[in-house]
Parts: sequence; structure tokens; C-alpha cells
Amino acid sequence: MSDSPLISVRNLAKRLGGFVALEDVSLAAERGTIHAIVGESGAGKSTMARILAGIERADSGAIEIDGHSVAIDSPSAARKHGIAVALQQSALFPDRSVLANLFVNREPLRSGLVSRREMQARSFALLRQLGLAVDVGAPLGELGAAERQLVGIARALLDHPRLLVLDESCEALDRSQGDRLFAVLRELKARGMTMLYLTSRLEEALALADQVSVIRNGRDVLSKPRSDLTATEEAMIGQLGLTLFPLPLRSLSNVAGTLRPQLTVSGLSGGRLAGVGFSARAGEIVGLAGLRGSGASDLLAMLFGQRRARKGKVRFPDGDGLPKTRTEAARRGICLISSHAGNGVMADKSIAFNLSSVVLGARDWGRRWYSPKAAAERAARLVEALRIRSGSDELAGSLSAGGRQKVALGRWLEIGPQVVLLDEPARGIDIGSKQEIYGLVRQMAASGCVVLMHSSEMSELAGLCDRVIAFRDGRLAGEVAGSEMDAATLRKLITGDTAAPAREPATTSQRNAA
Amino acid sequence: MTSADTSPRLAGSATPKAKPDFRLPSETGVVVALAVLVGLLGWLHRPFLEPANLLVLVEQAALPGIAAIGMVFVLAIREIDLSVGAVFHLAAVAAAVLIAAGTDPWLSVLAGIALGTCIGLVNGLLAQALRVPVIAVTLGSWWMADGLSSVIGKGQAITPPAGDGSFFSTLSGKAFGMVPASVAIFVLLAAALQIVLHRTRFGYRAQATGSNPEAAAHAGIATATVRLTALALMGAVAGLAGVIHLGAQGTIAPADGNGFALFAITAALLGGTRLSGGHGSVVGAAIGALVIQVVLNGMALLGIGSAWASFAVGALLVAALAADRIGRIWRSHRAERRQAGKRG
Repeated sequence: MSDSPLISVRNLAKRLGGFVALEDVSLAAERGTIHAIVGESGAGKSTMARILAGIERADSGAIEIDGHSVAIDSPSAARKHGIAVALQQSALFPDRSVLANLFVNREPLRSGLVSRREMQARSFALLRQLGLAVDVGAPLGELGAAERQLVGIARALLDHPRLLVLDESCEALDRSQGDRLFAVLRELKARGMTMLYLTSRLEEALALADQVSVIRNGRDVLSKPRSDLTATEEAMIGQLGLTLFPLPLRSLSNVAGTLRPQLTVSGLSGGRLAGVGFSARAGEIVGLAGLRGSGASDLLAMLFGQRRARKGKVRFPDGDGLPKTRTEAARRGICLISSHAGNGVMADKSIAFNLSSVVLGARDWGRRWYSPKAAAERAARLVEALRIRSGSDELAGSLSAGGRQKVALGRWLEIGPQVVLLDEPARGIDIGSKQEIYGLVRQMAASGCVVLMHSSEMSELAGLCDRVIAFRDGRLAGEVAGSEMDAATLRKLITGDTAAPAREPATTSQRNAA
Repeated sequence: MTSADTSPRLAGSATPKAKPDFRLPSETGVVVALAVLVGLLGWLHRPFLEPANLLVLVEQAALPGIAAIGMVFVLAIREIDLSVGAVFHLAAVAAAVLIAAGTDPWLSVLAGIALGTCIGLVNGLLAQALRVPVIAVTLGSWWMADGLSSVIGKGQAITPPAGDGSFFSTLSGKAFGMVPASVAIFVLLAAALQIVLHRTRFGYRAQATGSNPEAAAHAGIATATVRLTALALMGAVAGLAGVIHLGAQGTIAPADGNGFALFAITAALLGGTRLSGGHGSVVGAAIGALVIQVVLNGMALLGIGSAWASFAVGALLVAALAADRIGRIWRSHRAERRQAGKRG
């Protein structure tokens, strides 16, 4: 009985709309170990975490705990089995206090009333261990991204689970916070807790885990004890992402270098940005590297007219300055494609309706009438070009995250944008869609657009961009291009620690590989 | 290195479906309800089906129906306007006072409609400036407009002198010898605004804004302008209904227009418009208004007290919502089965 693994998962499969998130995943976690599950984002990790949390139900497959088959059909069932999950984007309440978030639905009572003091007492030690020095009465929304993530983890830990599932738990954390978290996790392991650690960063897995499994495209492709991993295998796992990126169209970026339209930014401040200046030419993909809160996102929002700039000058290829509104930006052929929640699609409308939203919604010229037939023709064209695998009359909500992102991108293609701003365009989507989006981005650059792309995945920037500008705390931290552009260098630039060892395997850029 | 290397590797081929699924229009439910109710009432009580009675019924439905048509646009942008009835009343009172003061009746009518439009605009501007839902602002403007009309009308009915009478005789007259003017306007307006909602750029923007405001703004749609326009349209339509009432009845009494907002929302919901925004059917709302009036009228004819008529309208709405939910569950089941079948 006690020989059986704490949890084992067999042939788990899950389909989300038309997209296969998990195809066939099997793994087992032994008691008192940390089992890392490594995979690119979109490989199915988050779906698995949500299934273990009881938020989603698997279409097929079995979950066994202590050797007994169990059905986790609700979050309370998961809790009953001793499973606690810290999700990547935890279901937290930004308007409520930190304490309220920590104890959602299991508020300690004292004589029938929720006791704040009890909550404080119970969470104090844990928060200190995690290095979370915040006002526990403050609304969660006022905290930084890293602190919010730690609150999510703390909430899972307060359940005193037998199995802790962590999904991309280091994503928003800086180095010292990550190290502190790892120390806490190791200590918990020593006290007998079992953990599933889901991550897209191999070196995190190697640093922490006793057992490493790799999943790709919803399948488990490798599972081995950490100590049995050979150097070649490590390198192989690290290289998995490389085939993702299309090669740059070299010939184009070399012609008539001086005549190409260009975007010039000088002394731009606002949001977290302080006096940033650079320029970008049509035909190249310029990466903006930076951690969350480094200002790279703010820069894109300002260029799109979504945020106000405090000062500074910007000159767009059309000769004008910053757009004042998003509508003005759209009319001038400046587009922003972002993965942030809310910037997506109109889920209850058809794909055709969605694809008309810039042509018809933003522009004030052209045809005055909305013709479903014209919309359907436009959509048929774009569905073909974007390789969306659904009919144009189907609801956008039925698409996978990748499909939605393609629609969000496709609605701009129709107006032939001049400046393409991308804010984590491929976060959280499946590998196939990622690849297609990278291809589209490359094509847009080749057709003469100025392309700026922000991402927090350094390997993505190194793979796709022609040159990368690094941001740290709202200022430029450097620029790399050509062969020195690799994930480790970029990470050093944006975190500003020059001596620290690379936190990501040194994935060489595509150009070197080719 | 060949250029073929640069194209992305495909994870599958695009296979758009050849033939779109046949979908029942969203008005189907309300049309069926209307047919069943009319049939049932005619069977129970033959005189109900007499043309004279039916025309009276449609005429009674016309004014709240016009309000319901405007409400569809407000619901489509995911908002609710509670001030409709008070705007209706205030526009009629303003026009009546102007006529009584000797202004040309047609000019006074324009002024009434303009007043309605302005109230709609102010509602929109306030909601925008205070960053509150329209329902909150219009709750305030409902009280204010209601108060203003009592102040102006001193709590009594206003009956402006008929004068030269071209205005009053036109609106109380009948087109083609039998259709009341208000009904003709109601039908024409419903047809025109149905086209506006589904076939124009403004209608498109309104639906997009209601469906996902953030995504709409992100696609460059000027959502603030769209909101203002929809609310101004609602105000104009409410004002129009008010002056039609004045022209047709020749008077405006203190209680006129009470309950229009709830009537309009109910009619729109019956007609397949949803509170979640993004969708709307103007024709459905117009038919919805007829359904409500059929119930009210039929209960009276059957000799059942008007108290029970209100109950029946409420029950009908709840039944309609339930039917809508069941329909959606059934459709999603069918879609799942079909998907499973397609995969084998």
C-alpha cells in the first residue's frame, strides 16, 4: 500500500474546444519527492494543473491516489484528497485583502464570526518564510506581480496538502524570491510533502527536482530520475524549442537600408519608463526584453495610444507622433497584439464578426454598411491565411487560445498595418499556433512593417528577433544583436546580475544553429 | 538556404467547413409565443380576433414598443436605461407646454425629441465621466426627469389647445383609413432600426462594444462614442414616443409613461435580446411588446382582473428565459455530440 506512488496519472486526455490540450499523459509522483514536469508553454501543463485542481475534468484517463482510483470532479474533491494547486494565474480576488485571499472559503471562525486575528496568526510564519513582507490588510490588486504569485502559493500551502501542485511558480519572481521559494519547497519536501512542479524552464527543474518528466504537445516524452539524466539528454530537452522559429528573410533587410521607414523614440517617459530612446526600421523584428514591470509593456501601450506618455518624442513612419487614442492608432495603421486578458476576442460573436472589427469598427472610411456577406468573404480569406481550423461562422469562443490569438492578429492584417506592436503574442498557446504566429510576424516584418515584440521568454526573443533591446526598471539596459543574442545574455541584461550563472540553458540563437 | 525554410511548419491543414449550420433566427421563440397566445385567446374568446380589437391592441403596444426598440441598442452595448418612462413623459410635457405657449406644434415636437436626445447624451456623458454603469446614472435621471415634469405640469394633466390642428389631426389620424399613425411609425421605426443594428457600421460597433468592451476598444473601436450614440438614440426614441402620445391623445396625464422602462426591457428580453450584451433584435423586441400587450389585453377581455395580468407577464418572461436556457443546453449538447461523431 505505501509502496504505491502518492499520485499516479494514467493516459490523461483533455480537449478544449477544437484543441487537444492533453493527448496522453502518464506519470507518477513518489511520496516525499519533487517531480518536475517540463514543457514549453502550451504543452499542456496548465491544463493538467487545472484537472488536478478539480477545475476541469479530464475527457479520459485515470487518476490514482494511494493506489486507489479517484474522481476529482470539483475543487472541494481535490482538497479532500489532500491536493492543493497554485495555478499560474490563480483565481484570486484583486479587490479583497491579502488575508481574505489566503483564506477563501475556509475562513477561521471564532464564535461564529470570521476572525481576522486567527487568520493573521496562521499565516504569519508562512508569509515570513516566503519573504512576503506586505500589509496583509491591503487589497491584493495593489501588490506587485511577484507578491501576488507568492500569495497564490501561500494559499495552497495553508491547506497543508499532501500533494502540492505548482504551475510556473517562479514566473513572476526575481532571483532572490525564487531561491527563497525553493528553500521553502525543499524544507517541505524534507517534512514529507510531495510536489509536482510544472515549469517551462529546464534549469529550475534540474535545480529542484528528484524526478523530471518532459511533456510536449500533450504527451509525456521522457521521465527519469534527476540523477539519471545525462548531459546529452539535458541538452536535448533544452533544444526542444529551437525548431519553433522561422528564419529571418535576410535578403530583404539588407536592401536600401537608409530609405526604409523607421520608428524613432527619444526620451520617452511615462508609466514605469524613464527616458527611453531607440529606433526601429521596417523589415526587422526588434525584441524588447524585460521582466514584468520593466516598462517594456508600458512602452507598447504608449505607442498604441492606450497609455499616456509623460514626456518624450516619438516619430512614426507616417511622420506623426504618438497616437492619442487606440482608435487613432488603428486608423494610422499601428496595431498592438497582446496576450493580456481582455484584449482578446469577442467570444460570443462569430469569427467573421471578429475579423471585421478593425476594418469596420475602427476605420471611419470605406463602406458604411456592414454586410455579412463581405464579412464572410474577408473571413474566409483570413481563415485560410491564418490557418484557423474552424469555419468563419463559428463562434470565436469555441477556438483554442492559439486560435483566438490568431483571430486577434488576423483582424489587423486586413488594414495592412505599418507598425506592429506585440506584447507576449504567443504566451499560453499551443506549439503549433506559436509556430504559425511566429511565421506571420516574420512575414509582416518582411512585407515592410516596423515590428516591436516584447516577451518575457528570452528564448523566444533570441529565436525570433533580429536585435533585442533590454529594459530594466524602466531604463534601457543594453542592446544585443547577431550572434551574441542568446537567452542567457538577455537574462543577465534584464536582471542586471552580471556574475550570476545563467538561469536558462544557453540556447543558441537560430542564426548560429543554421 | 531556400526561401521555403522560412514558412512556418504547419500543425495541420486548414479545413473550413463548407456549409454553415442552419440556425433558427433569435426571434423564433417570440413569434411562436405570439402565435400561440393569439390562437389561444381567439379560441377562448372569439371577439378577441376581431380586427378592431387587434388594432387597438397594436396601438396600445406601439408606444412602449418604440421604447423597447431603443432599449435593444442600450442592451446591445451591455447597459440598461431606466429613465425611458420619465424621458417619455418629460418630452411630452415640454412639447405640450410649448404648444400651449403658442409655439408651432411641429417645432414643439422637434424640441421634445431634442430634449429626449439631450437627456440621453447627458446620461452617457455622466456614465462616462463618473465611470459608473448607465443603470446607476439613469436611475438618477429618472427621478430628476420625473420631478421636473411634475414641477412643470403641477401634477395635473396638460392639454394644449388643438389650434390649427395639423399636428394633432395627423397623429390621431389613420393611415390607409385604418392603421393608427402611431402604429405606422412603430412598424417603420422597427424595420429601420433593425437594419441599423445589423447592417451598419454603428450597429456593428454597438454589438462589438457590448460583446467585449475591452476587445472592442483594443481593436480601435471608439467605444465611448458608440455608448453615447446608443444612449442618445434611446433618448430620442423615448422623446419621439412621448410626442406621439401627446399628438394622438391630445393630452399628457401624470401617470403616462410609468413603467415604460421595465416594459421595454421585458419586451427586449422576450424578443431574444440578452442582458449580457453584444446581441439584439429590434424586430424581436417589437414583437415582444405585442406579446405583452396581448397578455394584458386578453386577460382583460377574459374578465380576469388586471392584477393577474401583471402576474402573467412576469410568468411569461420567466418561462421565456427558461426556454432560452433549455435551448442553449440542447444546442451545446448537439454540438458536442456532432464533434465527437466527427472525430469518430
